[in-house]
Amino acid sequence: MNARWWDIEHAVDHPAVRVMLLMVAGLLVGAGVIIGVLSVLGKLKSEMRTELIRRTVAWGVMVPVVVGPILIAPAWGGLMMGVVSLLCYREFARATGLFREKALSALVAVSIGVITFSVVDHWYGFFMALGPLSIVVILAAATLRDEPKGYIQRIGLASLAVLLFGVCLGHAGYLCNDGTYRPMVLLLLACVGLNDIFAFCCGKLIGGAKLAPTTSPGKTISGAVGAITLTTVTFVVLGSMVFTAGPLSQMHHLIVMGIMVSTAGILGDLTISSVKRDIGIKDMGVVIPGHGGVLDRCNSLLLTAPAFFHYVGYFQGVGLDTPTRVISGGLGP
Amino acid sequence: MEKWSYQPAQDHGLAPVERARSVRREAGLISTITHAAWWTGVRSYLTLWHRLRIVGRENLPVEPPFVLVANHASHLDALVLAAPMSTRLRDVVFPIAAADVFFENGPVSLFASMMLNALPMHRANRGRHALADLRSRLVEEPCAYILFPEGARSRTGEMLKVKAGIGMMVAGLDVPVVPCWLDGCFEAMRPGCVVPRPRVITVHVGKAERFVDQPNTREGWDAVAERLEGRIKALRPVRG
Repeated sequence: MNARWWDIEHAVDHPAVRVMLLMVAGLLVGAGVIIGVLSVLGKLKSEMRTELIRRTVAWGVMVPVVVGPILIAPAWGGLMMGVVSLLCYREFARATGLFREKALSALVAVSIGVITFSVVDHWYGFFMALGPLSIVVILAAATLRDEPKGYIQRIGLASLAVLLFGVCLGHAGYLCNDGTYRPMVLLLLACVGLNDIFAFCCGKLIGGAKLAPTTSPGKTISGAVGAITLTTVTFVVLGSMVFTAGPLSQMHHLIVMGIMVSTAGILGDLTISSVKRDIGIKDMGVVIPGHGGVLDRCNSLLLTAPAFFHYVGYFQGVGLDTPTRVISGGLGP
Repeated sequence: MEKWSYQPAQDHGLAPVERARSVRREAGLISTITHAAWWTGVRSYLTLWHRLRIVGRENLPVEPPFVLVANHASHLDALVLAAPMSTRLRDVVFPIAAADVFFENGPVSLFASMMLNALPMHRANRGRHALADLRSRLVEEPCAYILFPEGARSRTGEMLKVKAGIGMMVAGLDVPVVPCWLDGCFEAMRPGCVVPRPRVITVHVGKAERFVDQPNTREGWDAVAERLEGRIKALRPVRG
């Protein structure tokens, strides 16, 4: 078994990985303790308490499910992101009604599957080609039904789904092809996750004017500003342990990346909120207790993953130090 | 510019088991695949083990909505009636199954929804409400039901009295109701029997009938039930 599929010996070699794992474990335990103390002191209403416990337990399940495969080996990280993309697509399709178009829906699912293959294979050219190619296939296949009524909506939704869940989320998986992917991916996921929590806490503590009251009445400007500030600080602190050499270790790059991750996270959240408002639903699903659907949890990653990937790719390169086309290698010329 | 219209799944926002139990359940890609696999298997089994034969296949409707009704003497009955349906209709043909048997616990509910594509029918006090839900789905979207209007399996092989429930579902609707007689299911797998015996099964399909003129009242329901009981019994082959 080669290191692409089984590399658990090196799972926590990088100091930044150890720091982040301890930090997340600490946060989870800390949250449990705080909830416990507050409820003993009688400061929590019972519904609020149940809700907080559900959310914390959900985090306690989600973290190992997502972090586990990333730690095991690059291929599993890519596959896990592929499964997450499919779950997000499923919720999107059922919310928009696209799932009733069985053939188109199957094409989107297959596209996401093939994109995941290109990720696990570490075949950058194919990965980049699959966005446009999937859309070509979807447009062409959709004409075969000879039913122009609703055509634009069908292909519009299907193309958007491929781009959002196949291509955008695929970038998070593709990061796993880098030689030192573990700290990088965990940094991204940690900052995206913390960004939501920072926004929630700052918004609750400070309050004030709404950010986009029609789209998402819960979000405040203070929450967004607080999240950008705190996430950028977190990113700079953790990032300086992840990017220890090369151009990205410079302070200004870390600050820019921190601001970018946080802003893209908030905007990704608003993207999915807009979709939900347009359809007229509250949550995308019910898979994760206290959080809603998988897509409600991953919305912040949708825009962040490609932005972060290409920033790193432009200044430093992603996956330049590892073998490419590890599965398909034998097929090509 | 004309607005796009979104129709979220009717079962949107339900947890997996609740969704399996919902009368409004809609099949997605995964269910389409599991239905196809399950029914291909069932069809092969019925052909090989029971030499399944359909008499009057031309009477089977091709397009939903429609309702198939038959005598009920075995757990095989729903399989036998659903198996000959065209693959295209897999996701819209719903065997109506007793909620107390098929939708009581989680794993069985998931099996009933993912494999059989069954919808629950509550027999006891919620019966009337459950029938109203099924009736409204039949009106609102093209779907087809397979149901056994006696409301239970016969313990002797002789047909029981048809209950008024079928009338509550179809009286006053312009939906074709197709009577069928299942021959050999009782001999193959009578109630209490666990392993089906290799007996020949034949389905006799009658001509469809609509009850659009029957009032949706007690009298109408009884008339529909009585009429269908006669139609189903009349399909029973006379043995020499």
